[in-house]
Amino acid sequence: MSKKRLNLLPVWAAISAVIIIAGIVLMALLGFNEALDRPESKTFDVYYNVVVDLSEDRKSELATYCEDAFADAGISFTDKQTLEGQTDPVSTGQGSFSSTGNDFLLRYTFSADVSDESLAAAKAAVEASIAGNEGFALPAETYVSFDTISLQPMNEAMWRGAVAVAVAAVVALIYIAIRFGMGCALTGLVACVNDAFLTLSVFAIARIPVYAFAPMLYAAIAAAVSAVYWLIRCMKLRDDAKDPTAGVLSADEAVANACAATDKLVWLAAGILLAVVAVCAACTAMTGATFIFAGALIAVAAGLYSSMLLAPALHVKVKAHFDRMKKKNARYEGKKKSAKADAEA
Amino acid sequence: MGKKKSVVLLVIYTLLIAVLCFICTVSFSYGTDQLYTFSSVMRMMEKDADLGLAYGANADAGAYLGGGYSAVYYPEGVISAREYADNLDGMTDEEQADYAANYVRYPDENGSVYLEKGVACNEDGTVMSSFEEAFSSALETVTQRFARLRVDGARVEAVDGCMIRVFLPAMMDSEYTAISVFAYTGELRITYGSDEASATALFTPRAGETVADYVEAVNSRASGETGYVEFVFTDKGREALASATSGAAETAVTLYFYVGDSLVLNLSVNEAYDQNTLYISGSYTPETANTVATLFSTALSGTEDDLTLTPSDAYFHHALYGENTVLMLYIAFGVFFVAMMAFFFIRYHRLGFVHLYTYLLFLFAMILCGWSIPFLYLSVETFLAFMLASVLLCVSDAVAFECARKEFALGKTMTSSVKTGYKKCFWKLFDLHIVVAVIGFLVYAIALTSLQTAAFVLGLGAAFSGIATLLVNRFGWAVMMGTSKKPGKFCNFKREEVEDE
Repeated sequence: MSKKRLNLLPVWAAISAVIIIAGIVLMALLGFNEALDRPESKTFDVYYNVVVDLSEDRKSELATYCEDAFADAGISFTDKQTLEGQTDPVSTGQGSFSSTGNDFLLRYTFSADVSDESLAAAKAAVEASIAGNEGFALPAETYVSFDTISLQPMNEAMWRGAVAVAVAAVVALIYIAIRFGMGCALTGLVACVNDAFLTLSVFAIARIPVYAFAPMLYAAIAAAVSAVYWLIRCMKLRDDAKDPTAGVLSADEAVANACAATDKLVWLAAGILLAVVAVCAACTAMTGATFIFAGALIAVAAGLYSSMLLAPALHVKVKAHFDRMKKKNARYEGKKKSAKADAEA
Repeated sequence: MGKKKSVVLLVIYTLLIAVLCFICTVSFSYGTDQLYTFSSVMRMMEKDADLGLAYGANADAGAYLGGGYSAVYYPEGVISAREYADNLDGMTDEEQADYAANYVRYPDENGSVYLEKGVACNEDGTVMSSFEEAFSSALETVTQRFARLRVDGARVEAVDGCMIRVFLPAMMDSEYTAISVFAYTGELRITYGSDEASATALFTPRAGETVADYVEAVNSRASGETGYVEFVFTDKGREALASATSGAAETAVTLYFYVGDSLVLNLSVNEAYDQNTLYISGSYTPETANTVATLFSTALSGTEDDLTLTPSDAYFHHALYGENTVLMLYIAFGVFFVAMMAFFFIRYHRLGFVHLYTYLLFLFAMILCGWSIPFLYLSVETFLAFMLASVLLCVSDAVAFECARKEFALGKTMTSSVKTGYKKCFWKLFDLHIVVAVIGFLVYAIALTSLQTAAFVLGLGAAFSGIATLLVNRFGWAVMMGTSKKPGKFCNFKREEVEDE
């Protein structure tokens, strides 16, 4: 397996290319599935004021009226919040808000495809329920409305994040070039870029719901993890190159040896990372944070794919090319030296 | 290292860890009626509003739970249906009929707003195209302002195509200021005079000129806890300012800075001012200075025809991820910590203590940095970055231990094994940490908001991990091993058994 995977560069490259191209097309056409940020939604608001002594029972009755009305209208909400009214922003000169203590808003959020007719029917039903309940002494102190919401994109963070990941990957790989050679840096750069794009593509293709800020976070994790995995391979390649017998090995033998020796460590590192992120996702399963951790699993796994398959197969070609260049240079240097020696003689 | 010296150093090391542990994690109340509170560093560390825990050093548990504030900006000619109903309440039937004749419910009979005829809608109830254009422009300006605040979690939403709902997480000292002043629309105007009523315009733009021909940029600057708004004038602007303040030495002149018709700040000038840059501090913090500078900066492209916005309907929202998220993160860390220590104690026996001390020192260093570095806070992203750095430290320590184990197996003494083991893995671990730190700090330098803080934590974690694994771990190993008579047993290292031929 170890040697076979090194000869399948076209296969790994094709897999990556297909996923990445499909991902880029989908990113350009549809973007990411930012459903967690609710870019388009509808909200159903029930305002109430407790000045007329709206007891806790009445508050829960309001919620029951709403939820019964939604059930009757055949619609279901994605989020429910009770918001507390704050002092009007134009009324005081203070820096922070303070609670009025009187005003509350029961807000239900629906997906954008819920029809206005259904919401209107629910509104009518809730208003009728409130009017029919003597407990609500002043019907004017409750108010029902619904709105269509459209989130405005703030793209600066997205493109700055993309530039940041690209610059960081290039600079990190310049360091790798200095320490391990240009061949290792080139393969590492391809692996980092591949993993960052692969991660983003998986999110775009599978329409995995993400927060708007998250894709670049995952791309950064994928690039960092990919660089670390590849560094482990580079260290072994450099150690092997110091061996006097290394010169007789072909590029594919050298890479195969390095991979065989480091596979265990790469799997171990990836396993630990995956386990840690999975534990975080599991522990926060009851909260919204779990989506962020679950997404990070894909970034860590993408790094493992290229480290195991794409990068070693690519490095065989890159190393063979650099080895040839090295030999050519060595011959040229040798000829120059012998010519110089002849001239001196 | 001698045994006595080892014991003394170990005691000091342990005390240091214990003190750091106490400072970082223990909170308690004391004094009569529990009047005073000792807050741990973890408690004082600022937390993301999405997490749902009290924010800031002075926030007691239960003061408020993360979250944030929203408000709705109503453009001129748009009122909420609730306000419409309230307005009708105190009117006679005739007044009600007159009032109702001026408004149309939008978008239909169930709409949540009313549009004023001739201002926002035509007589037939359709929205005026001029209103749509002005609303679109105002929405863009407001979005630009909130984006430039660079606050993680800030949102701007268009509601029914005729209102703007804004949200700021409870992570600022003055959300109210930002929400209220960002509703100001129109162009930047500066007047001067002895009082506001008689003040005259500082600039007299000719045809085709705007305020941008006089003011090049408005930025914010900070020096410690004080913030400044910096006005950068063009040569024309500088001339106008110099002319306006030429007699200020004799009679003080006040400069009034407006956005549209709203006065944002005034500045008393007591001497002639002939420079391109004007710094205004007042009582600004870096945060409020940034807010005001953002407002002025976006107002450079404003016009007299901009839609007037009125902020209203402010509400407090609970934390996005739920109220127990911080607790869940602590549990996740606990699971990781137990698993990590179980591995190290099982594989390396008492050498696990060396890793434990190293890891705790790393942990407390990260906590202290998270508390003391102003822009750092605990969030899901920073926690994730911290966990990745933790994995890096664990793997590095394990690699160092394994290198020494291999050397010991060959028959070397423990001291020689540790020395040779570290020598063999030093540059590998160094490279690993440098690469991760470079990625972390570079992403921090370029990215914004949550990715920026997470990247900084990753970079910082990699730097601390490098120091911890290459220096602290080795020191701890030397100290603890000095207390043991059988170093091989202490570390669970075994010699390779060679059969006699």
